[in-house]
Amino acid sequence: MQRDHGCHRIDHEFSRRGFLASGALAGVASLSSPTVAHELQKKQKRVLQVYLQGGVSQLESWDPKPGTRYGGPFRAIPTSVPGMHISELLPHSAQRMHLMSIVRGINLKTNSHHDGRLFMEMGRRAGKFPYIGSVAAKYLMPENAPLPGYLHVTTRGLTDFTNAFLDARYGQLKLAGPQVPANLIRPKAVTADAARRSRTLLKRLNTRFSGRGGQKSFTDSYNASFEMAEKLMARRDLFEGEPDGKDLDRYGRHPFGRNCLLARTLLENGGTVVKVTHHGYDTHAENFNFHLEQLGEFDKTFCMLLDDLNDSGMLDSTLVMIYSEFGRTPKINVRYGRDHWGTAWSIALGGQGITPGAIVGATNKDGTEVSEREVDGGHLFHTYLQALGIDSTAYHTLDGRSVPIGDPTRQPIQELLA
Amino acid sequence: MRLLLPIALALVLLKPVAGVAAEVPDNGLPQQVDKLIEAAVPDFAEHASPLCSDAEFLRRVTLDLTATIPSASATRRFLADTTPTATKRARLIDRLLISPAYARRMQYLLDWILMERRSSENIPSVAWQSYLRQAATENRPWDQLAHEILVEGGGDSKTRPRARFYLDREFDLTVVTRDVGRIFMGKDLECAQCHNHPVVDAYLQRHYYGLKAFLDRSYLFTDPKSKQKSLGEKAEGDVTFTSAFDDTKGKTSPRILDLAEIIDPDGSNKQYLTKPGKSARGVPRYSRRKQLGIAVTAEQNRAFRLNIANRLWAAMMGRGLVEPLDLAHVGNPPSHPELLDLLGDQLHDHGYDMKWFLGQLARTRTYQRSSLTRDASAKIALKQFAVGLLKPLSPEQYAWATMEATGMLASTRSSARKKLESEAAKAQAKQAKMPKKTPQAGSDKKPKADPKPDKTDTPSAVSITISTAALESAVDKAVAGHIKTFVTQFASDGGQKTSFSATAPQALFLVNGALVREWLKPTTTNLTGRLSKLNDPTAVAEELYIGILNRPPTASERNEVIDYLAAASDRSEAIIELTWVLLLSAEFRFNH
Repeated sequence: MQRDHGCHRIDHEFSRRGFLASGALAGVASLSSPTVAHELQKKQKRVLQVYLQGGVSQLESWDPKPGTRYGGPFRAIPTSVPGMHISELLPHSAQRMHLMSIVRGINLKTNSHHDGRLFMEMGRRAGKFPYIGSVAAKYLMPENAPLPGYLHVTTRGLTDFTNAFLDARYGQLKLAGPQVPANLIRPKAVTADAARRSRTLLKRLNTRFSGRGGQKSFTDSYNASFEMAEKLMARRDLFEGEPDGKDLDRYGRHPFGRNCLLARTLLENGGTVVKVTHHGYDTHAENFNFHLEQLGEFDKTFCMLLDDLNDSGMLDSTLVMIYSEFGRTPKINVRYGRDHWGTAWSIALGGQGITPGAIVGATNKDGTEVSEREVDGGHLFHTYLQALGIDSTAYHTLDGRSVPIGDPTRQPIQELLA
Repeated sequence: MRLLLPIALALVLLKPVAGVAAEVPDNGLPQQVDKLIEAAVPDFAEHASPLCSDAEFLRRVTLDLTATIPSASATRRFLADTTPTATKRARLIDRLLISPAYARRMQYLLDWILMERRSSENIPSVAWQSYLRQAATENRPWDQLAHEILVEGGGDSKTRPRARFYLDREFDLTVVTRDVGRIFMGKDLECAQCHNHPVVDAYLQRHYYGLKAFLDRSYLFTDPKSKQKSLGEKAEGDVTFTSAFDDTKGKTSPRILDLAEIIDPDGSNKQYLTKPGKSARGVPRYSRRKQLGIAVTAEQNRAFRLNIANRLWAAMMGRGLVEPLDLAHVGNPPSHPELLDLLGDQLHDHGYDMKWFLGQLARTRTYQRSSLTRDASAKIALKQFAVGLLKPLSPEQYAWATMEATGMLASTRSSARKKLESEAAKAQAKQAKMPKKTPQAGSDKKPKADPKPDKTDTPSAVSITISTAALESAVDKAVAGHIKTFVTQFASDGGQKTSFSATAPQALFLVNGALVREWLKPTTTNLTGRLSKLNDPTAVAEELYIGILNRPPTASERNEVIDYLAAASDRSEAIIELTWVLLLSAEFRFNH
C-alpha cells in the first residue's frame, strides 16, 4: 500500500473540541502566548539561513568518509575543533568549526526535493504549516521592525506560501539578488509630497473602514501590507549602489557573494530572518567536479559572512543554519553522480542558542544509514526554535483553534542547545 | 438553457426586465433561509446588522454575480430608481443573472474550486477556461459538470479540456483521490489513507480506499508519438489496505463512504476495448472511472449536494456553513445543520441549477445585511451571519473592478466594439458583392453560441449590431493579460477559502506598479479624464465615490475631497491622487 504522503496534517493537530467550542482550547494557548511575547521583548534575535538548493552531498561536506567504499576522491581535514573532521572542500569552514556544530544523523525518509524541502522548512512531513522562517519572524520580529520579517535572497525561486495559516506579514519576501525589488521605486510622476499627502488620506479612509464585517484581521492584514511595503521603500538604499570593493574581494564577485553581502546588510539593518539560497547542488552527474566548484564558492563566502557577524558581535544573537532538502546517495552512479538521499545526511548550524563545536549523531562506516541519534526535520524544527528562545511546544492561536508550533511527536535536540 | 439578450450590457444591467422579477412567495427558499439563520441564536436580533443600503447591495451583488463592480452610470440609475426595495433588488439580481458577465464570474469561481490555482501543465488554460465559460453560459447543472470532469480521460480531443482536473494533477493517485473527496464531497480523507482518522472519527480508512478504488485502475498514459498525456484504464486490479496502527487488513471495491460497494459486473475482468500497451491507451469494457462520475453525483451521496451548497453559500456569504470548506464530518458539524440540509436538498431538487441557487441566496435578508456592525466593540461570532461579512475580491474580481473603476474597461469595450463593427461591415460589404447563397448551403460551420441580434435579420440593414456576448468575448481577450497579472499578484495558495492575507509585494504593486498608474492617466474617456473636466469640487467628490466605491460620499468625505483639492497646487495631479487613494482603500479591496 502507498504511504508516501504522511499525515501530520493540520487537522490532526486541531482538537475536535477546538472545533466544537472554539473557546476551549484558546485558553490553553493563551497561557503560552504571553511567554512567547515576553521572550521576544528581551533581545532582538535573528536568523541567517543558507540554503544549499538541490541537496548538498554530506560526503563532500560535513560527513566525509575518505577511503571507504563510497567515500569519493576527497580527503577529510582537521578543523578548529579537536577531533572534528570535515571535507577538504571546506577549508575556510574548517578553521571556524568552533563557532558551528554538525548534525550527522538526519533521516527524512523521503528522496523528493519537494517533500524534503517542506519537511526541513515546516518541521512536518506533510500538510500546510508555516516555514521555520515565518514562525521565527512571527515570534522574533519587534513591533516596529524596520524591515519585513522574513527576507529571502535568491536568484531563482518557487512561489512559496511560507506563512501558511499565519498572517501574511510573516510570509517570505523574495529578493532577486542585490537589485532593487520589483515596484520598490515610486513612479517619477509621483512627487514625495503627493505620495505623503495621498498616503495620509488613504490611512484615514482605511481607519474608518477598519473592522467592517467584524473582521478586523482582514483589514489589519491589508493595512499591514502597506506598512511593510513602506519599510522596504524607505530602505531602498540597501539595494542600491555597488558594495564596498574590499567586501566584494572577500565575499567574491559572483552572485552568491553579492547575495551574502546583501544578507549581511539586511541583518545589520534590522532584518529578522534572512535566507540566502545557493543553487545547484543536484549533482546527478559529475558530483565531484560540481561540489568542488560549488562548495568552493560557498565555503569562502559563507565564512566571510560568519566572520563579519562574529566580529560585530551579532553572531551570539543570530541563529545560523546551513541546510538542504536532503543529502546525496553514498552510491556513486555511472555518471559519477550522487542521487537524492534523505536517509542519512547532515546539516551545520551555530550562533544564537547553539552549543558550538559539537557533533550530534553519526552514520555508519559507509554512510549508508544513521548509526547514532537519528533525527528528522521535526526534531530540527524544535531545535531551531528552542535555540531562539521560542517555546516550540506552545501553540499558535488562530480564531479559536490552536496548532502546536512544533510537531508534538518530536523533540528538540537537547545536547545542541546552549 | 441559454439566456442571452441581444442588447448592450449597460442596458441589460439597467432596464428592468418585465415579468422576470416576480414577487417571491412568503415560504420561498430565501424566507426559509432567513428563518433558520435568525432562529439559531436567541439574541440574534440584538447583534444583527440592518439591511444594507441600496448602494452596498448593488456593489455586493454585482461583484458576486458578475465578477466586477457596477459602472458609475449603472450605480446612479440604481440609486435613483424609486421602486420598492425588495422588488428593485430582485429585479437587479435577475438582470445580473442573465447578463453574459454571470458566466464570466462562474467560470472564475469554478476554476478556483476545481483547479485551486494549479499551474497549467497538460491542458492549456485557455481550453479549460473556455470549457468552463461554455458550461456557465449554458448554466450546465453542477452534477452534469462534475460527472463530465470525473469520467474524462482526455483521449478525445473534443472533450479533452475536461481532463484538466486529473491531468494537471499529473494523475498522482493520492492527490486525485484526496481532491475528489475534498472538492466534490467536502471531505478531506487524506489522513485516512494510513489508518482510520485519529481525530476525525467519521473518516475511515475504508472511505479513502473505497474512493481510491474508482481511480486505482486508471493510469497516466503518454502517447509515444505526440507525447500527449491522457488517462488509460485497466480492467483488473483491486485495492487492499493495511492500518498503520494495528495491521488490520481491508479490501474494497469502489465505494462512496458508507454506501454500498460497487461490484464489477461478472466477466468484466481483463475485458478490453483497447488493451493497454506501450503505444495503446487502455480502454476497458467496464470502466470504474465512469462509475465514479455516476456514484459521486448519485442521489444517495448526500455529501455531494451538501458540499456544493456549502461552497456556493461561502462564495456569497463570505463563510461556509462548514469551515474549512473541505472538512465536513460529525466532529465538525455545520453551524446550521438544518439549513445546510435544506440548501443541499433544494439545489438537488432544482436539478443542481447553480444560477437559480445563487439568485435565491442573493434574495435573502442574510445576504443583504450591512457589513457595518451595530456595535463595533461587540464580539459577534462570524458564523452567526448576523453581519454582512467581508469577502476579499478574488484576483479576477479585483482586476475587473479596477478596470471598471478607472474607466479603462470602458475604453477597451469601445475599441472592441469599433473593431467588431468594422469587421462586420467589411464582411457585409463582401457578402453584398457575392452572389446570393442560401444561408445554410455548403456551410458546416454553425453560427457561434451567441444568438444573432434581431436587427441583422434583414440582410440589407446598414446598421450593424454587435451582440453583447460577442463584444464581451472580445473584451475578455483584450484584458486577458491584465487578469493574469492580477492572478499572479493576488492569488493565494490553494482552493476556495474565506480567509485573507495581504503581502508587501502586493502593496508595492498597488502603490508603485506601472499598470494601475497607467490607468490613472487622464484620457478623454476614463475616470481621471472625466474628473478633470469637472470644475465643481463637490461634483468631483460625487463622481469619485460613485465611480470607484459605487456610493455617494458622506458629507465629511465630500469635505475631505474638497479640502484636498483646495490645498493642491496642481489640480489634475490631485485628482489622480484622490483616485489612487480610493482605489487602494480597504473598502475597494473587499466586497463588503
